[in-house]
Amino acid sequence: MIAVELRKLFRRPRTWAIVAVLNAPPVLVAVLLVLTDLAPRPGEGPPFLSAVLTNGALYPLAALAIVLPLFLPIAVAVVAGDSVAGEAQAGTLRYLLARPAGRTRLLVAKLVAVLAFVLVTVVVVAAVGYLVGTTLFEARPAAGTSVSGTSLTAEQLAVRTVLAVGYVGVSMLGVAAFALFFSTLTDSPLGATMGALAVLVTSSLLFTLDAASPIAPYLPTRYWLAFVDLFRDPILWRDITRGLALQAVYVGVLLAAAWANFTTKDVTS
Amino acid sequence: MASRARAAAPRWAVVGVVVAVLAALPAIVGALPVTDEPVPAAELRAAVLASAGVQYSGYAESAGGLALPVTDQLDSVADLFSDRTEMRVWWRGPDDHRVDVVTPAGETGIHRDARGTWTWEYERATATRAAATPLALPAPPDLLPATLGRRLLAEAAEGELTRIGARRIAGRDALGLRASPAEPASAVRQVDVWVDRASGLPVQVVVLGETSEVPALDTRFLDLELAVPDAATTAFAPPADARLRTAEEAEIVLEAGRRLAPVRFPPTVAGLPRRTLEGAPPGIGLYGRGVTLLAVAPVPWRLADGLRRTLAQSPDAVTDGTSTRIAAGPVGLMLVDPRDAEPYLLVGTVTLDALVEAAGQLPLPGRRR
Repeated sequence: MIAVELRKLFRRPRTWAIVAVLNAPPVLVAVLLVLTDLAPRPGEGPPFLSAVLTNGALYPLAALAIVLPLFLPIAVAVVAGDSVAGEAQAGTLRYLLARPAGRTRLLVAKLVAVLAFVLVTVVVVAAVGYLVGTTLFEARPAAGTSVSGTSLTAEQLAVRTVLAVGYVGVSMLGVAAFALFFSTLTDSPLGATMGALAVLVTSSLLFTLDAASPIAPYLPTRYWLAFVDLFRDPILWRDITRGLALQAVYVGVLLAAAWANFTTKDVTS
Repeated sequence: MASRARAAAPRWAVVGVVVAVLAALPAIVGALPVTDEPVPAAELRAAVLASAGVQYSGYAESAGGLALPVTDQLDSVADLFSDRTEMRVWWRGPDDHRVDVVTPAGETGIHRDARGTWTWEYERATATRAAATPLALPAPPDLLPATLGRRLLAEAAEGELTRIGARRIAGRDALGLRASPAEPASAVRQVDVWVDRASGLPVQVVVLGETSEVPALDTRFLDLELAVPDAATTAFAPPADARLRTAEEAEIVLEAGRRLAPVRFPPTVAGLPRRTLEGAPPGIGLYGRGVTLLAVAPVPWRLADGLRRTLAQSPDAVTDGTSTRIAAGPVGLMLVDPRDAEPYLLVGTVTLDALVEAAGQLPLPGRRR
């Protein structure tokens, strides 16, 4: 069933259209930077963007930072929100459930397909970012300077970039879990997507308020930018481990809720 | 339909229990009792003052509540006392440590060695060398709970100290010590210092003004490890492509102080005795003790207008004839501009009434040219 769901997801033109659209903003930003030679002022703009003019090998990180706050969560919410509600809206959900595999296995298959989409999307953004960065900018793949001013070898830079890609992928699992849960509550994919995005917008808003500081450590978007900490020296694991643990809690709870709801709901469409 | 509802109930109950347990965990951990120990206040203060050699590493957060007037020259100093500052620290000793101010997209690292500091600014790709001076502008390392706690308790009298129980901070048991300044002129109501029971290291410092329940400054460790940091971590060599510069801010401030004409300051103002401070220019008068301090400095005419405008922009500014004064939390500032003499500034952790009293007791620092 998992293979079926994966094939279905990645054979859809819409999936690849979303991935392509997701890569457009970083490519556009890179082209504008090359044409104008105007990088953001120090401390402004997405992380690492001010550094790419001198080292294009950092562009995968800048690309992830560009799509992380908005575009990437929207893409994940669209796909995850469609996973169950889309079947219900199309009238195919009850036929899927007619198979002897059971609802839990279907939910797991949908979940794995969403996880695969998240992983593929993040890797594609990073890969396109690397191609664009090393093509358009002067690349210094031999070494780099950490955020803390120490030298990083090419191997250290590569390992940390891979870890950053993985961390961003994990950060998106919480979005996927929200959208998947909402997808089991409604027959409207748009409603499920909007529900997940409403959670994220609220989380981002609360994070900026001092009055919400007591609950800030529990907001789903709180640790998204912690991948920057992988490029400090020594690596600052504090927020990274908290980010991973927080995503694990959200994913665990929301999947349990999705399971409790989906395995017991009346499916009529 | 009914059978589905019956099947759903236990599943949702499981989810509900999991959510309840997870939601309650922080409160449960926070409510774990901490056993207080009958350590006398004076003994605890002595342990704090003896902790300068304790080596540690950690992560600290400082939240400033002071709305200091912002000028173009010293905005970074004002930010330190008004914003939230997140710091990583590796402390091998007073002359060998590193403090990184961490921001979401960058950091500023201050590396101290025997001869001075290197300051690395990632966003500007700049490394700045500053020589060690006895008097320097406030910097992030001054806000570390350990450093600030020792400084604020250094001159506290035994009669000003009381014990205030115990709490858990950064996963460590900490004993509370409260210093309440005895001087009537003080604008600081109390300074609460929470001290790591095992090492004597202050792990949280909360400064409260006389007129507000919101801390003027709250700095605490979020993580603390009592181990010797690696020397390679505190050392710094500027990257090959970094811009190198030499710090001038401290020297400019000192040079400005040296240019001040000496003033015959009275031995006491507003009930505060005159004091000396290593490195302080002789043209600046310093008064007070402990956390109740007052500085008096003549201000060049060309700077006085800008300063007066900045002070007057505060909604709480009091303009009274030739003077303008404000209170930024427990910090009071007063610019006096007599018609026939040089302007001068009074600033310190004293009440506005004490500032007025002190201004009336000071000699005029020079006739207007």
